[in-house]
Amino acid sequence: MSELASLQDRQDRRRHRLLALPAILIMVILGLIPLMIVVVYSFLKSGEYGGVVPQFSLEAYVSLLFQRDMFDDTLTFSPAYLEIYIRTAIFGVVTTAICLLVGFPTAYFMATRPADKRNLWVLLLTIPFWSNLLVRTIAVMFIIRDEGLINTILIRLGVLDHPVTLLFTNFAILLGLVYSFLPFMVLPIYASLEKFDFRLAEAGFDLYANRLQVLTQIIIPLAKPGIVTGSILVFVPAFGAYVTPLLLGGGSHLMIGDLIALQFGSSRNWPLGSAFSIVLMIFVMLALLFQIRRSGQVNHG
Amino acid sequence: MKNSASHQAASGGAVSILGVLKDFGNFRAVVDVSIDIRSNEFFTLLGPSGCGKTTLLRMLAGFEAPSAGRILLDGADISALPPNKRPINTVFQNYALFPHMTVAENIGFGLKMLGKPAAEIASTVDEMLRLVRLEHAGNRAVTQLSGGQQQRIALARALAPRPKLLLLDEPLSALDLKLRKSMQIELKRLQQETEITFIFVTHDQEEALTMSDRIAVMNGGKVLQIGSAHEIYEHPADRFVAGFIGETNFLEGELTGSAGGAGTVQLRCGPTVEALTAKSVASSGAVTIVVRPEQLEVVVPGSPQAVDATVEQIVYFGTDRHIHARLGDGTALTIRQQNRPGAKEGLSQGERIGVAIPPRVAQILKD
Repeated sequence: MSELASLQDRQDRRRHRLLALPAILIMVILGLIPLMIVVVYSFLKSGEYGGVVPQFSLEAYVSLLFQRDMFDDTLTFSPAYLEIYIRTAIFGVVTTAICLLVGFPTAYFMATRPADKRNLWVLLLTIPFWSNLLVRTIAVMFIIRDEGLINTILIRLGVLDHPVTLLFTNFAILLGLVYSFLPFMVLPIYASLEKFDFRLAEAGFDLYANRLQVLTQIIIPLAKPGIVTGSILVFVPAFGAYVTPLLLGGGSHLMIGDLIALQFGSSRNWPLGSAFSIVLMIFVMLALLFQIRRSGQVNHG
Repeated sequence: MKNSASHQAASGGAVSILGVLKDFGNFRAVVDVSIDIRSNEFFTLLGPSGCGKTTLLRMLAGFEAPSAGRILLDGADISALPPNKRPINTVFQNYALFPHMTVAENIGFGLKMLGKPAAEIASTVDEMLRLVRLEHAGNRAVTQLSGGQQQRIALARALAPRPKLLLLDEPLSALDLKLRKSMQIELKRLQQETEITFIFVTHDQEEALTMSDRIAVMNGGKVLQIGSAHEIYEHPADRFVAGFIGETNFLEGELTGSAGGAGTVQLRCGPTVEALTAKSVASSGAVTIVVRPEQLEVVVPGSPQAVDATVEQIVYFGTDRHIHARLGDGTALTIRQQNRPGAKEGLSQGERIGVAIPPRVAQILKD
């Protein structure tokens, strides 16, 4: 009997492994192999007209922080790329913070509608996804440019006498990032608030908590899984954003995504682009690790 | 305002509900209810679901505002106060424990919101854990507890701020029978130890009878009768109360005379009985009398002043048995007999018996 059971067990395990094979194959072919290629490229020399020369070199990583003198090969510290990383991180954090501030009340509003109306609100939230990100970003350009909707209205109303420059500023990039990624914040928070038992809020009121205390002591802690997920879903793509800063920043306010694209494009330095990507990925992974650790601790404490 | 909800002399509040109405759109959930609840009383609102008892409780807690009328606590009008400004706590039907907090954090939540110092909170939490006999559960997650334990924590959490009034919204309905029985005794003990006024909502008449000092029976948003368990069981005010509380036999008849709180009723099925009357019953005319199953006696068929019946079914309950019998005119009767050890089985299905109604036990209802 037990022998039969163990045989059955072994067969089950083999079948499970077989069933998982397609998924594993897809992950290896589409995820792991390209990633390994990027890692390998970052340790090679760049070809003269793009591409790489199969020769080991740490040059790409060295040039992240140092500038090599053209004539005597001495290295001098150059924080230009580091600054871009830091600026990108700041954009990522600020975008996440604004999305959270705007997204939480939005999700709360949606979750407190009658059950039969909620799906309509979710549908409305997904409308931006019906069109391409590029199209939406260009639409934002039309709204905020000097002759755009905002400036025209403000001038017509007499609030301004000459247009305020909004396009090609940090503000424009931030607006674009928030606009692009806000739904990724709202949806997970909505999902956790929708499951929230509002009788717990009543219990809070009953036990002498005021509205703010009910929000901070009961609703937010219980919506935390949604808040963490939403923050990751906004922070990660915002950190690697490419189209938004390129179009709304006008090339003068580079983010790391644009810098990477530049290396594979006109700069023809594939190893440097690969090195940027690897460092970016490590930053994102560290940030996620930090985030997960912190939310894990709260659950246990 | 905060101080009114804090530690005070351990004495329960007296509540006056004055002409309270509650409308939800076109539906009137609570119809002109007036109840006076005494200090330190275990008061039960009893009724079927949808009778307005929970709505009334939610108005006491402050979750709903009365459409009309006033609610006084120790003479002060609290109708307009929000829940967090009322020295009243609630034990919710589903317990509503905070899942992200430990047992101790749950119990201490009310005191924390009142701004009590940490040391005082810690000692009160310990005291409450002792009170509900879960001394060692303080650090556990509430999600690890069984239903009965969650129930006790919900009680401890609501009692910790020492409210003047504790509201209990069908708190035992999710527990199994055995646990429910022991929690009934536990609740009564807690009420006596803490000397807090308890208002208990239930649809379970047995729960109401075993625990309450007084019971208000509600139906259709109205209070039909207020009285002690004994009064309500023995002297139901109307047909609904009689039928809702315990098993009851209804018999039709004609009132032929009344004197000194009793009346003579000529029953349609034959015998004449002397039954107790409420003051407001007319001195003659068609009436219904209620007789509890345990008040009926089985006698030899054909006995004088008894009515013959046929045994249809005998249901055995351990301590007693119910004999379902049918009279000649088709009326069903339930008779309850206590089982004594060694007693013979006696009756069998289809047997002819006589049923006697002893004088002055049946109650005449006003129709």
